[in-house]
Amino acid sequence: MDVWLAFSLQFYCPMNTTKSIYRIAKMWFAALVFSLAASSFGEVRAQKPIDTKPVLTAQEKKLFATFDRRVNDYMKQRKAVAKKLPSLSKEATPAEIEAYQKNFVERLRAMRAGTKPGYIFIPAFTTYVRQTIKTEFAPKAKAEIKQTALEAENKGVPLKINYPYPESQELTEMPPTLLLKLPTLPKEVKFRFVKRHLLLVDSDNGLIVDYTMNAMP
Amino acid sequence: MNRIFKTYLIVVLAFVLGVTGNVIGQKKGTNGNAKGNKVAAPALPRLTLPLAKDSVRFVLIGDTGTGTEKQQDLANLLLRSRQAFPFEFVLLVGDNLYGGEKPADYKTKFEDVYRPLIDQQVKFYASLGNHDEPAQRFYEHFNMDGKEYYRFTRGNVAFYALNSNYMDKKQIDWLQSELAKDQSDWKIAFFHHPPYSSGGKHGSSTGLREIVEPIFTRYGVNVVLAGHEHFYERIKPQKGIFYFISGAGGKLRKGDVKDGSPLTAKAYDQDMSFMLVEISKDSMHFQVLSRTGQTVDSGVLPRQKRVTAAVR
Repeated sequence: MDVWLAFSLQFYCPMNTTKSIYRIAKMWFAALVFSLAASSFGEVRAQKPIDTKPVLTAQEKKLFATFDRRVNDYMKQRKAVAKKLPSLSKEATPAEIEAYQKNFVERLRAMRAGTKPGYIFIPAFTTYVRQTIKTEFAPKAKAEIKQTALEAENKGVPLKINYPYPESQELTEMPPTLLLKLPTLPKEVKFRFVKRHLLLVDSDNGLIVDYTMNAMP
Repeated sequence: MNRIFKTYLIVVLAFVLGVTGNVIGQKKGTNGNAKGNKVAAPALPRLTLPLAKDSVRFVLIGDTGTGTEKQQDLANLLLRSRQAFPFEFVLLVGDNLYGGEKPADYKTKFEDVYRPLIDQQVKFYASLGNHDEPAQRFYEHFNMDGKEYYRFTRGNVAFYALNSNYMDKKQIDWLQSELAKDQSDWKIAFFHHPPYSSGGKHGSSTGLREIVEPIFTRYGVNVVLAGHEHFYERIKPQKGIFYFISGAGGKLRKGDVKDGSPLTAKAYDQDMSFMLVEISKDSMHFQVLSRTGQTVDSGVLPRQKRVTAAVR
């Protein structure tokens, strides 16, 4: 830009001052238009979707693979049960929703009768969640994650697998920044914090699929 | 060239003088001063919305699902305001059912309260709050098409209902891909947790904001509507986006707006409220009514002129 200024001053100095200033300003205006056009073009070109894939170590990749496999085991059971249920309309009445959920839960509980807690949330996974919250977030963000989980009105949620999450209890907002560091779940199941404990809950019928204690450090 | 240059000089001068406000007719922030509990059919205030031909008219209301008398009072006012302002649909910004979700809850906390509007074919488009089971997405009157997050359009406006309770990779990817191909003049996102808020109890959902705001700015979302806080707040434009909170449709957190909050353009936390909205061409008109029939905020927002991303 200094070169532009020197060049324009040298070029216009011999002419009368008002005219010179007007021409210099014109030249600057043209340069500004040009640079703005160039920069906005560059900006649009540079815009890429936000990358939502977490960066994982080899060990974490292995851990995520184990987790995914075990979630898929549940998904298979779930699919087998869902296949036998009358499908729920996208414009269902509350009575239809209730009947569907009740039926779904009862059949799933029967199928999963022998499942032990911790089948999906293996200890290494709990450690990963604790470590992630501890180390990957700035103190302020960490405090907000904890506050969100701890202030929720969900004292009445039983820490038992194969029990429905009580419909009257609050479903804590899962911190999006943390979700991006956890394995992506099928849309039918969700992570939920109940105070410091982490649950895996079925979205359609509210069944507590698994839980792990003190996942929140 | 001379004409362009003169225009440029005027623009630069205007910028230097600080004429950069986005809101026409913006009022100074106050928290309102309405009084009274039980209201017996308050008079409908004069509505300032233009009722333009082919405009998109709707209502924003949140945190409704209590089934209380006060929720009913507000619903009655909503019904009466439809006579003067025939809105087509209602956006629910979550916490649609508090406490329980049995068929009786759907009846007493939603159907009975809004029955006259449902009978008049007014559609309710719901988003999920932290008190809502995901199974609500199947409910006939919430028009969610069985999805926790979805998009629909009216005229030149695209509406994005998001599930701020669970903003995972799948939803983020979906949002980005939908916005990237969206050619609508107006893009409005509505969901439960407010990215900006002056609430004392909750405040801004900064974790959510960290994720969604870059997407909104990148793809030219014009307006963001939220609830969760049980009051009304219009936030000063943030990164060129207009943010509103209307979460006093069934509950009120009286006096919760922090005094002197730098975020507040206008706030009202003295009674329950809803917001009437009309979008006509490049303008969004709004008027916020309290349960007592006061206009607690109103104005016109111009559609932002922004370069939206051309990512494919």
